[in-house]
Amino acid sequence: MNTTLNINRLGLLFQRFFIENKQAELTFWGISTVIFMVMRNVGSVEMFLYIAGFIFAARMFKVFNYTPGGMHYLLIPATHAEKLIVNIILSTIYYFIMIIITYIIGTIIGTFLGNIIFGWQNPINFQLFNDSISNSWNNQSYQHNGILEIFMTFALIQSIFMLGSIYFKGNAIGKTFLTFIALSLTLGLLEMILFRFTFGSFHLDGHSFNLNLRTSEDLFPGFEIVGTIIKYSLIPFFWLVSYFRLTEKQV
Amino acid sequence: MVNVQNVTFSYTKKTELLSNLSIKLEAGRIHGLLGKNGEGKSTLLKLISGLDFPQVGSIETLGFNPVKRYPEMLQEIFFLPEELPQLTLSIENYEKVYAPFYPNFSTVQFNEYLKEFDIDNKKSMLNKLSNGQKKKVFVAFGLATNTKLLLMDEPTNGLDIPSKGQFRRMVASTIDDNRCLIISTHQVHDLDSLIDSIIVMEKHEIVFNQPIENITKKLLFRIADRNEKSDNVIYSEDTLRGLYQVSENKTGEESKLDIELLFNAILTEKNKIVKLF
Repeated sequence: MNTTLNINRLGLLFQRFFIENKQAELTFWGISTVIFMVMRNVGSVEMFLYIAGFIFAARMFKVFNYTPGGMHYLLIPATHAEKLIVNIILSTIYYFIMIIITYIIGTIIGTFLGNIIFGWQNPINFQLFNDSISNSWNNQSYQHNGILEIFMTFALIQSIFMLGSIYFKGNAIGKTFLTFIALSLTLGLLEMILFRFTFGSFHLDGHSFNLNLRTSEDLFPGFEIVGTIIKYSLIPFFWLVSYFRLTEKQV
Repeated sequence: MVNVQNVTFSYTKKTELLSNLSIKLEAGRIHGLLGKNGEGKSTLLKLISGLDFPQVGSIETLGFNPVKRYPEMLQEIFFLPEELPQLTLSIENYEKVYAPFYPNFSTVQFNEYLKEFDIDNKKSMLNKLSNGQKKKVFVAFGLATNTKLLLMDEPTNGLDIPSKGQFRRMVASTIDDNRCLIISTHQVHDLDSLIDSIIVMEKHEIVFNQPIENITKKLLFRIADRNEKSDNVIYSEDTLRGLYQVSENKTGEESKLDIELLFNAILTEKNKIVKLF
Protein backbone atom coordinates (compact mmCIF):
# COMPACT_ATOMS: atom_id res chain seq x y z
CA MET A 1 0.00 0.00 0.00
CA ASN A 2 1.27 3.44 -0.92
CA THR A 3 2.04 5.40 2.22
CA THR A 4 1.79 8.84 0.65
CA LEU A 5 -0.99 8.73 -1.89
CA ASN A 6 -3.63 6.08 -2.39
CA ILE A 7 -6.45 6.59 -4.87
CA ASN A 8 -8.80 4.38 -2.91
CA ARG A 9 -8.33 6.43 0.25
CA LEU A 10 -8.74 9.67 -1.72
CA GLY A 11 -12.05 8.34 -3.02
CA LEU A 12 -13.13 7.43 0.50
CA LEU A 13 -12.29 10.92 1.74
CA PHE A 14 -14.35 12.47 -1.06
CA GLN A 15 -17.20 10.10 -0.26
CA ARG A 16 -16.92 11.12 3.39
CA PHE A 17 -17.25 14.82 2.49
CA PHE A 18 -20.26 14.37 0.25
CA ILE A 19 -22.14 12.05 2.58
CA GLU A 20 -21.48 14.21 5.65
CA ASN A 21 -22.32 17.49 3.84
CA LYS A 22 -24.97 16.35 1.37
CA GLN A 23 -27.74 18.51 2.80
CA ALA A 24 -25.61 21.63 3.20
CA GLU A 25 -24.15 21.29 -0.30
CA LEU A 26 -27.51 20.82 -2.00
CA THR A 27 -28.93 23.81 -0.12
CA PHE A 28 -25.99 26.06 -0.94
CA TRP A 29 -25.88 25.22 -4.64
CA GLY A 30 -29.66 25.66 -4.85
CA ILE A 31 -29.34 29.14 -3.32
CA SER A 32 -26.44 29.95 -5.68
CA THR A 33 -28.54 29.04 -8.71
CA VAL A 34 -31.34 31.34 -7.51
CA ILE A 35 -28.84 34.15 -6.88
CA PHE A 36 -27.39 33.79 -10.41
CA MET A 37 -30.92 33.91 -11.85
CA VAL A 38 -31.16 37.53 -10.76
CA MET A 39 -27.47 38.53 -10.46
CA ARG A 40 -25.59 38.08 -13.72
CA ASN A 41 -23.35 41.14 -13.73
CA VAL A 42 -19.72 40.02 -14.04
CA GLY A 43 -18.48 42.08 -11.10
CA SER A 44 -21.20 40.76 -8.79
CA VAL A 45 -20.64 37.17 -9.91
CA GLU A 46 -16.91 37.50 -9.28
CA MET A 47 -17.55 39.06 -5.87
CA PHE A 48 -19.95 36.25 -4.96
CA LEU A 49 -17.40 33.65 -6.10
CA TYR A 50 -14.62 35.15 -3.98
CA ILE A 51 -16.64 35.89 -0.83
CA ALA A 52 -18.64 32.64 -0.70
CA GLY A 53 -15.46 30.84 -1.76
CA PHE A 54 -13.28 32.02 1.08
CA ILE A 55 -16.05 31.33 3.59
CA PHE A 56 -16.13 27.77 2.22
CA ALA A 57 -12.32 27.47 2.32
CA ALA A 58 -12.10 28.86 5.84
CA ARG A 59 -14.42 26.07 6.99
CA MET A 60 -12.43 23.24 5.38
CA PHE A 61 -10.71 22.37 8.66
CA LYS A 62 -13.44 23.56 11.01
CA VAL A 63 -13.31 20.12 12.70
CA PHE A 64 -10.34 21.41 14.69
CA ASN A 65 -12.52 24.02 16.40
CA TYR A 66 -13.88 21.21 18.54
CA THR A 67 -11.36 18.79 20.10
CA PRO A 68 -13.34 15.53 19.67
CA GLY A 69 -13.96 16.47 16.03
CA GLY A 70 -10.25 17.14 15.49
CA MET A 71 -9.33 13.83 17.12
CA HIS A 72 -11.78 11.96 14.96
CA TYR A 73 -10.46 13.62 11.80
CA LEU A 74 -6.77 13.06 12.57
CA LEU A 75 -7.41 9.40 13.30
CA ILE A 76 -9.00 8.72 9.91
CA PRO A 77 -6.60 6.22 8.31
CA ALA A 78 -5.36 8.43 5.48
CA THR A 79 -2.15 10.41 5.03
CA HIS A 80 -1.92 14.14 5.73
CA ALA A 81 -1.23 14.66 2.04
CA GLU A 82 -4.41 12.81 1.06
CA LYS A 83 -6.51 14.80 3.52
CA LEU A 84 -5.04 18.06 2.25
CA ILE A 85 -5.34 17.17 -1.46
CA VAL A 86 -9.01 16.33 -0.99
CA ASN A 87 -9.61 19.67 0.72
CA ILE A 88 -7.67 21.56 -1.98
CA ILE A 89 -9.67 19.89 -4.74
CA LEU A 90 -12.94 20.55 -2.92
CA SER A 91 -12.25 24.17 -2.02
CA THR A 92 -10.65 25.12 -5.33
CA ILE A 93 -11.62 22.96 -8.31
CA TYR A 94 -14.93 21.49 -7.14
CA TYR A 95 -16.15 24.80 -5.74
CA PHE A 96 -15.17 26.75 -8.87
CA ILE A 97 -16.78 24.22 -11.21
CA MET A 98 -19.97 24.22 -9.14
CA ILE A 99 -20.10 28.01 -9.22
CA ILE A 100 -19.71 27.92 -13.02
CA ILE A 101 -22.41 25.24 -13.36
CA THR A 102 -24.87 27.12 -11.11
CA TYR A 103 -23.99 30.36 -12.95
CA ILE A 104 -24.82 28.74 -16.31
CA ILE A 105 -28.04 27.19 -15.01
CA GLY A 106 -29.02 30.38 -13.15
CA THR A 107 -28.34 32.55 -16.22
CA ILE A 108 -30.35 30.27 -18.54
CA ILE A 109 -33.32 30.03 -16.17
CA GLY A 110 -33.12 33.72 -15.21
CA THR A 111 -33.03 34.90 -18.85
CA PHE A 112 -35.79 32.49 -19.83
CA LEU A 113 -38.07 33.54 -16.96
CA GLY A 114 -37.31 37.24 -17.56
CA ASN A 115 -38.28 36.88 -21.21
CA ILE A 116 -41.51 35.10 -20.32
CA ILE A 117 -42.60 37.26 -17.38
CA PHE A 118 -41.55 40.69 -18.65
CA GLY A 119 -41.85 40.03 -22.37
CA TRP A 120 -38.16 40.75 -22.97
CA GLN A 121 -36.24 39.22 -25.84
CA ASN A 122 -32.86 39.00 -24.19
CA PRO A 123 -30.46 36.42 -25.57
CA ILE A 124 -28.66 34.15 -23.12
CA ASN A 125 -25.40 35.93 -22.40
CA PHE A 126 -22.69 34.43 -20.22
CA GLN A 127 -20.79 37.63 -19.45
CA LEU A 128 -18.35 35.81 -17.20
CA PHE A 129 -16.88 33.98 -20.19
CA ASN A 130 -16.45 37.11 -22.33
CA ASP A 131 -13.17 38.96 -22.01
CA SER A 132 -14.78 42.18 -23.23
CA ILE A 133 -18.03 43.53 -21.79
CA SER A 134 -20.08 46.25 -23.48
CA ASN A 135 -22.00 48.58 -21.28
CA SER A 136 -25.43 49.26 -22.73
CA TRP A 137 -26.06 52.63 -21.05
CA ASN A 138 -22.90 54.41 -22.19
CA ASN A 139 -22.05 52.25 -25.21
CA GLN A 140 -18.56 51.68 -23.88
CA SER A 141 -16.82 48.37 -23.70
CA TYR A 142 -14.18 47.40 -21.17
CA GLN A 143 -11.90 44.47 -20.52
CA HIS A 144 -12.44 42.25 -17.54
CA ASN A 145 -10.39 39.37 -16.17
CA GLY A 146 -10.50 36.22 -18.28
CA ILE A 147 -11.88 33.06 -16.72
CA LEU A 148 -8.38 31.63 -16.19
CA GLU A 149 -7.25 34.72 -14.34
CA ILE A 150 -10.41 34.68 -12.23
CA PHE A 151 -9.68 31.06 -11.38
CA MET A 152 -6.06 31.79 -10.43
CA THR A 153 -7.07 34.71 -8.19
CA PHE A 154 -9.77 32.52 -6.68
CA ALA A 155 -7.26 29.69 -6.07
CA LEU A 156 -4.92 32.14 -4.33
CA ILE A 157 -7.67 33.43 -2.03
CA GLN A 158 -8.78 29.86 -1.29
CA SER A 159 -5.24 28.76 -0.44
CA ILE A 160 -4.88 31.68 2.02
CA PHE A 161 -8.17 30.98 3.78
CA MET A 162 -7.61 27.23 3.86
CA LEU A 163 -4.31 27.85 5.61
CA GLY A 164 -6.19 30.18 7.98
CA SER A 165 -8.73 27.46 8.73
CA ILE A 166 -6.01 25.02 9.78
CA TYR A 167 -3.86 27.61 11.52
CA PHE A 168 -6.47 29.29 13.69
CA LYS A 169 -8.75 27.59 16.15
CA GLY A 170 -12.14 29.26 15.95
CA ASN A 171 -13.29 32.23 13.84
CA ALA A 172 -10.81 31.41 11.09
CA ILE A 173 -12.38 33.90 8.64
CA GLY A 174 -11.96 36.90 10.95
CA LYS A 175 -8.50 35.92 12.11
CA THR A 176 -7.28 35.26 8.55
CA PHE A 177 -8.65 38.64 7.47
CA LEU A 178 -6.94 40.43 10.35
CA THR A 179 -3.66 38.65 9.64
CA PHE A 180 -3.95 39.55 5.96
CA ILE A 181 -4.61 43.20 6.81
CA ALA A 182 -1.73 43.26 9.31
CA LEU A 183 0.60 41.77 6.68
CA SER A 184 -0.56 44.26 4.05
CA LEU A 185 0.01 47.16 6.45
CA THR A 186 3.48 45.88 7.28
CA LEU A 187 4.37 45.52 3.59
CA GLY A 188 2.91 48.99 2.90
CA LEU A 189 5.01 50.46 5.69
CA LEU A 190 8.08 48.67 4.35
CA GLU A 191 7.34 50.09 0.90
CA MET A 192 7.10 53.63 2.35
CA ILE A 193 10.40 53.22 4.14
CA LEU A 194 12.04 51.98 0.92
CA PHE A 195 10.65 55.01 -0.92
CA ARG A 196 11.97 57.28 1.80
CA PHE A 197 15.44 55.82 1.49
CA THR A 198 15.41 55.65 -2.33
CA PHE A 199 13.78 58.98 -3.23
CA GLY A 200 14.09 60.97 0.00
CA SER A 201 10.29 61.38 0.22
CA PHE A 202 7.23 59.31 1.13
CA HIS A 203 5.32 60.83 -1.78
CA LEU A 204 5.50 60.51 -5.55
CA ASP A 205 3.64 63.80 -6.04
CA GLY A 206 6.25 65.36 -8.34
CA HIS A 207 7.13 68.22 -6.04
CA SER A 208 10.53 66.99 -5.10
CA PHE A 209 11.21 64.99 -8.25
CA ASN A 210 9.51 64.14 -11.49
CA LEU A 211 8.57 60.50 -11.86
CA ASN A 212 6.89 59.92 -15.18
CA LEU A 213 6.08 56.21 -14.97
CA ARG A 214 3.32 54.94 -17.22
CA THR A 215 3.48 51.31 -16.25
CA SER A 216 5.51 49.29 -13.83
CA GLU A 217 7.29 47.86 -16.90
CA ASP A 218 9.03 51.26 -17.23
CA LEU A 219 10.54 50.85 -13.80
CA PHE A 220 11.68 47.31 -14.30
CA PRO A 221 11.32 45.35 -17.59
CA GLY A 222 9.61 42.04 -16.97
CA PHE A 223 7.98 43.40 -13.80
CA GLU A 224 4.50 42.15 -14.76
CA ILE A 225 5.71 38.64 -15.55
CA VAL A 226 7.73 38.40 -12.36
CA GLY A 227 4.76 39.73 -10.39
CA THR A 228 2.42 37.14 -11.94
CA ILE A 229 4.90 34.34 -11.24
CA ILE A 230 5.23 35.43 -7.60
CA LYS A 231 1.46 35.77 -7.26
CA TYR A 232 0.74 32.29 -8.64
CA SER A 233 3.60 30.59 -6.85
CA LEU A 234 2.02 31.77 -3.60
CA ILE A 235 -0.76 29.22 -4.19
CA PRO A 236 1.44 26.09 -3.84
CA PHE A 237 3.39 27.91 -1.13
CA PHE A 238 0.26 28.27 1.02
CA TRP A 239 -0.70 24.65 0.27
CA LEU A 240 2.72 23.52 1.43
CA VAL A 241 2.49 25.54 4.64
CA SER A 242 -1.00 24.03 5.21
CA TYR A 243 0.50 20.56 4.75
CA PHE A 244 3.20 21.15 7.36
CA ARG A 245 0.67 22.70 9.70
CA LEU A 246 -1.54 19.61 9.34
CA THR A 247 1.33 17.21 10.00
CA GLU A 248 2.19 18.98 13.24
CA LYS A 249 -1.40 19.43 14.38
CA GLN A 250 -2.05 18.19 17.92
CA VAL A 251 -5.40 18.05 19.69
CA MET B 1 2.67 -3.63 20.66
CA VAL B 2 3.11 -0.30 22.48
CA ASN B 3 6.44 0.87 23.81
CA VAL B 4 6.63 4.21 25.61
CA GLN B 5 10.14 5.22 26.64
CA ASN B 6 10.98 8.11 29.00
CA VAL B 7 8.21 10.32 27.71
CA THR B 8 7.69 13.79 29.06
CA PHE B 9 4.74 15.85 27.95
CA SER B 10 3.06 19.08 28.96
CA TYR B 11 0.36 21.28 27.48
CA THR B 12 1.85 24.38 29.10
CA LYS B 13 5.44 25.23 29.89
CA LYS B 14 4.75 25.53 33.62
CA THR B 15 3.27 22.13 34.44
CA GLU B 16 4.44 18.72 33.25
CA LEU B 17 1.53 16.36 32.68
CA LEU B 18 3.66 13.28 32.10
CA SER B 19 7.14 13.04 33.44
CA ASN B 20 9.76 10.53 32.22
CA LEU B 21 7.07 7.91 31.72
CA SER B 22 7.91 4.43 30.42
CA ILE B 23 5.62 1.49 29.78
CA LYS B 24 5.41 -1.58 27.53
CA LEU B 25 2.06 -3.06 26.62
CA GLU B 26 1.69 -6.51 25.08
CA ALA B 27 -1.02 -7.95 22.86
CA GLY B 28 -3.56 -10.47 24.09
CA ARG B 29 -4.45 -8.45 27.16
CA ILE B 30 -7.00 -5.93 28.34
CA HIS B 31 -5.04 -3.28 30.18
CA GLY B 32 -6.90 -1.17 32.70
CA LEU B 33 -5.39 2.30 32.98
CA LEU B 34 -6.48 3.64 36.33
CA GLY B 35 -5.91 6.96 37.97
CA LYS B 36 -7.61 9.95 39.47
CA ASN B 37 -8.88 12.79 37.27
CA GLY B 38 -6.16 14.87 35.67
CA GLU B 39 -3.34 12.35 36.11
CA GLY B 40 -2.70 12.16 32.38
CA LYS B 41 -4.53 8.96 31.40
CA SER B 42 -6.26 10.49 28.36
CA THR B 43 -3.05 12.25 27.38
CA LEU B 44 -1.17 8.95 27.43
CA LEU B 45 -3.78 7.45 25.10
CA LYS B 46 -3.48 10.47 22.80
CA LEU B 47 0.30 10.12 22.72
CA ILE B 48 0.05 6.41 21.89
CA SER B 49 -2.32 7.14 19.01
CA GLY B 50 -0.34 10.11 17.65
CA LEU B 51 -2.81 12.84 18.55
CA ASP B 52 -0.22 14.51 20.75
CA PHE B 53 3.56 14.48 20.37
CA PRO B 54 5.96 13.81 23.24
CA GLN B 55 8.38 16.64 24.05
CA VAL B 56 10.99 14.21 25.35
CA GLY B 57 11.30 10.45 24.84
CA SER B 58 9.95 8.11 22.21
CA ILE B 59 6.86 6.04 21.51
CA GLU B 60 6.43 3.03 19.25
CA THR B 61 2.90 1.96 18.42
CA LEU B 62 2.46 -1.23 16.38
CA GLY B 63 6.02 -0.76 15.15
CA PHE B 64 5.38 2.81 13.94
CA ASN B 65 6.25 6.24 15.23
CA PRO B 66 2.73 7.50 16.06
CA VAL B 67 3.74 11.12 15.37
CA LYS B 68 3.81 10.31 11.64
CA ARG B 69 0.19 9.12 11.74
CA TYR B 70 0.73 6.66 8.90
CA PRO B 71 -2.51 5.14 7.57
CA GLU B 72 -1.01 1.66 8.02
CA MET B 73 -0.89 2.39 11.75
CA LEU B 74 -4.18 4.28 11.98
CA GLN B 75 -6.14 1.50 10.28
CA GLU B 76 -5.05 -0.79 13.11
CA ILE B 77 -6.04 1.64 15.88
CA PHE B 78 -9.47 2.59 17.10
CA PHE B 79 -9.69 5.31 19.73
CA LEU B 80 -12.95 5.76 21.59
CA PRO B 81 -12.68 9.20 23.20
CA GLU B 82 -14.52 10.21 26.34
CA GLU B 83 -16.27 12.98 24.45
CA LEU B 84 -17.64 11.90 21.11
CA PRO B 85 -17.56 13.96 17.90
CA GLN B 86 -20.69 15.73 16.68
CA LEU B 87 -21.57 14.11 13.38
CA THR B 88 -24.72 14.77 11.38
CA LEU B 89 -24.80 11.26 9.99
CA SER B 90 -27.04 8.26 10.38
CA ILE B 91 -25.48 5.11 11.90
CA GLU B 92 -25.82 3.51 8.47
CA ASN B 93 -23.94 6.32 6.77
CA TYR B 94 -21.31 6.43 9.49
CA GLU B 95 -20.60 2.78 8.74
CA LYS B 96 -20.65 3.47 5.00
CA VAL B 97 -18.14 6.34 5.34
CA TYR B 98 -15.72 5.05 7.95
CA ALA B 99 -15.83 1.23 7.78
CA PRO B 100 -13.91 1.03 4.45
CA PHE B 101 -10.92 2.69 6.14
CA TYR B 102 -10.56 -0.37 8.38
CA PRO B 103 -9.64 -3.49 6.37
CA ASN B 104 -10.82 -5.94 9.06
CA PHE B 105 -14.14 -4.28 9.74
CA SER B 106 -17.02 -6.75 10.08
CA THR B 107 -20.56 -5.57 9.34
CA VAL B 108 -21.92 -8.79 10.83
CA GLN B 109 -20.19 -8.06 14.13
CA PHE B 110 -21.27 -4.41 14.05
CA ASN B 111 -24.92 -5.43 13.60
CA GLU B 112 -24.62 -8.02 16.37
CA TYR B 113 -23.17 -5.51 18.82
CA LEU B 114 -25.81 -2.92 17.96
CA LYS B 115 -28.50 -5.55 18.50
CA GLU B 116 -27.01 -6.48 21.85
CA PHE B 117 -27.13 -2.80 22.83
CA ASP B 118 -30.80 -2.66 21.69
CA ILE B 119 -30.09 -0.25 18.85
CA ASP B 120 -32.30 -1.53 16.07
CA ASN B 121 -32.61 1.39 13.70
CA LYS B 122 -29.43 2.10 11.75
CA LYS B 123 -31.16 5.03 10.09
CA SER B 124 -31.08 6.93 13.41
CA MET B 125 -29.06 10.11 13.23
CA LEU B 126 -26.00 10.15 15.50
CA ASN B 127 -26.61 13.78 16.52
CA LYS B 128 -30.15 12.91 17.64
CA LEU B 129 -29.05 10.05 19.91
CA SER B 130 -28.46 10.45 23.63
CA ASN B 131 -24.84 10.47 24.76
CA GLY B 132 -25.17 6.92 26.11
CA GLN B 133 -26.67 5.59 22.88
CA LYS B 134 -24.05 7.36 20.82
CA LYS B 135 -21.37 5.79 22.98
CA LYS B 136 -22.90 2.37 22.36
CA VAL B 137 -22.72 2.94 18.59
CA PHE B 138 -19.06 3.94 18.80
CA VAL B 139 -18.20 1.02 21.11
CA ALA B 140 -19.92 -1.35 18.67
CA PHE B 141 -18.12 0.22 15.72
CA GLY B 142 -14.76 0.17 17.49
CA LEU B 143 -15.05 -3.50 18.38
CA ALA B 144 -16.21 -4.35 14.85
CA THR B 145 -13.14 -2.68 13.29
CA ASN B 146 -11.08 -5.59 14.64
CA THR B 147 -8.08 -3.31 14.94
CA LYS B 148 -4.98 -4.59 16.70
CA LEU B 149 -5.06 -1.74 19.19
CA LEU B 150 -8.23 -0.50 20.80
CA LEU B 151 -7.99 2.55 23.05
CA MET B 152 -11.00 3.42 25.17
CA ASP B 153 -11.16 6.53 27.30
CA GLU B 154 -13.80 6.27 30.03
CA PRO B 155 -15.94 3.97 27.86
CA THR B 156 -18.56 3.32 30.53
CA ASN B 157 -19.30 7.02 31.17
CA GLY B 158 -22.89 7.63 30.11
CA LEU B 159 -23.80 3.95 29.92
CA ASP B 160 -26.68 2.69 32.04
CA ILE B 161 -26.19 -0.28 34.40
CA PRO B 162 -27.38 -3.04 32.01
CA SER B 163 -25.27 -1.55 29.21
CA LYS B 164 -22.16 -1.66 31.39
CA GLY B 165 -22.65 -5.41 31.74
CA GLN B 166 -23.22 -5.77 27.99
CA PHE B 167 -20.11 -3.71 27.37
CA ARG B 168 -17.99 -5.98 29.58
CA ARG B 169 -19.31 -9.11 27.85
CA MET B 170 -18.68 -7.71 24.38
CA VAL B 171 -15.17 -6.52 25.14
CA ALA B 172 -14.27 -9.83 26.79
CA SER B 173 -15.50 -11.74 23.74
CA THR B 174 -13.40 -9.75 21.26
CA ILE B 175 -9.97 -10.07 22.82
CA ASP B 176 -7.53 -12.49 21.24
CA ASP B 177 -3.76 -12.99 21.17
CA ASN B 178 -3.24 -10.37 18.45
CA ARG B 179 -5.33 -7.65 20.00
CA CYS B 180 -4.47 -5.18 22.72
CA LEU B 181 -7.08 -3.17 24.59
CA ILE B 182 -6.29 -0.23 26.81
CA ILE B 183 -9.19 1.01 28.84
CA SER B 184 -8.69 4.20 30.77
CA THR B 185 -11.08 4.90 33.60
CA HIS B 186 -11.48 6.38 37.04
CA GLN B 187 -14.60 4.26 37.61
CA VAL B 188 -12.66 1.16 38.61
CA HIS B 189 -15.77 -0.88 39.51
CA ASP B 190 -16.90 -0.88 35.88
CA LEU B 191 -13.86 -2.90 34.86
CA ASP B 192 -14.33 -5.63 37.45
CA SER B 193 -13.70 -9.08 35.97
CA LEU B 194 -12.81 -7.56 32.60
CA ILE B 195 -9.23 -6.41 32.68
CA ASP B 196 -6.26 -8.72 33.05
CA SER B 197 -3.56 -6.16 33.64
CA ILE B 198 -3.67 -3.11 35.89
CA ILE B 199 -1.76 0.11 35.32
CA VAL B 200 -2.08 2.85 37.92
CA MET B 201 -1.08 6.43 37.29
CA GLU B 202 -0.38 8.79 40.13
CA LYS B 203 1.22 12.20 40.07
CA HIS B 204 1.75 11.95 36.30
CA GLU B 205 3.75 8.73 36.57
CA ILE B 206 3.02 5.05 36.26
CA VAL B 207 3.35 3.73 39.78
CA PHE B 208 2.00 0.23 39.23
CA ASN B 209 1.81 -2.08 36.20
CA GLN B 210 1.09 -5.76 36.85
CA PRO B 211 -0.96 -8.60 35.36
CA ILE B 212 -3.86 -9.80 37.51
CA GLU B 213 -2.28 -13.24 38.08
CA ASN B 214 0.77 -11.59 39.63
CA ILE B 215 -1.35 -9.35 41.81
CA THR B 216 -3.42 -12.20 43.27
CA LYS B 217 -0.24 -14.23 43.78
CA LYS B 218 1.37 -11.48 45.85
CA LEU B 219 -1.67 -9.90 47.50
CA LEU B 220 -4.62 -11.25 49.40
CA PHE B 221 -8.01 -9.53 49.27
CA ARG B 222 -10.43 -10.44 52.03
CA ILE B 223 -13.18 -9.24 54.36
CA ALA B 224 -11.95 -9.62 57.89
CA ASP B 225 -13.52 -9.47 61.29
CA ARG B 226 -13.08 -6.06 62.90
CA ASN B 227 -11.48 -7.61 65.99
CA GLU B 228 -9.07 -9.76 63.98
CA LYS B 229 -5.48 -8.59 64.00
CA SER B 230 -2.91 -9.44 61.37
CA ASP B 231 0.64 -8.24 60.80
CA ASN B 232 0.44 -8.77 57.04
CA VAL B 233 -2.25 -6.16 56.41
CA ILE B 234 -1.10 -3.41 54.09
CA TYR B 235 -4.32 -1.50 53.71
CA SER B 236 -7.85 -1.76 55.07
CA GLU B 237 -11.18 -0.06 54.59
CA ASP B 238 -13.94 -0.16 57.15
CA THR B 239 -17.31 -0.66 55.46
CA LEU B 240 -20.80 -1.75 56.52
CA ARG B 241 -20.02 -5.28 55.29
CA GLY B 242 -16.86 -5.53 57.32
CA LEU B 243 -13.20 -4.73 57.17
CA TYR B 244 -11.89 -4.96 53.59
CA GLN B 245 -8.22 -5.78 53.69
CA VAL B 246 -5.30 -6.02 51.33
CA SER B 247 -2.49 -8.04 52.81
CA GLU B 248 0.65 -9.76 51.66
CA ASN B 249 -0.16 -13.22 50.34
CA LYS B 250 2.37 -15.36 52.21
CA THR B 251 0.40 -18.60 52.10
CA GLY B 252 -0.39 -18.67 48.38
CA GLU B 253 -4.11 -18.50 49.17
CA GLU B 254 -6.35 -17.61 46.23
CA SER B 255 -8.58 -14.55 46.45
CA LYS B 256 -10.72 -12.48 44.14
CA LEU B 257 -9.13 -9.21 43.12
CA ASP B 258 -11.00 -6.12 44.29
CA ILE B 259 -9.83 -3.43 41.87
CA GLU B 260 -11.21 -0.52 43.86
CA LEU B 261 -9.54 -1.77 47.03
CA LEU B 262 -6.27 -2.31 45.21
CA PHE B 263 -6.46 1.13 43.65
CA ASN B 264 -7.05 2.81 47.00
CA ALA B 265 -4.30 0.70 48.56
CA ILE B 266 -1.82 1.79 45.89
CA LEU B 267 -2.69 5.44 46.36
CA THR B 268 -2.34 5.17 50.13
CA GLU B 269 0.44 2.61 50.60
CA LYS B 270 2.27 2.86 47.31
CA ASN B 271 5.74 1.99 48.63
CA LYS B 272 4.63 -1.08 50.56
CA ILE B 273 2.79 -2.51 47.56
CA VAL B 274 5.38 -1.68 44.92
CA LYS B 275 8.07 -3.32 47.08
CA LEU B 276 6.24 -6.65 46.81
CA PHE B 277 6.46 -6.80 43.01
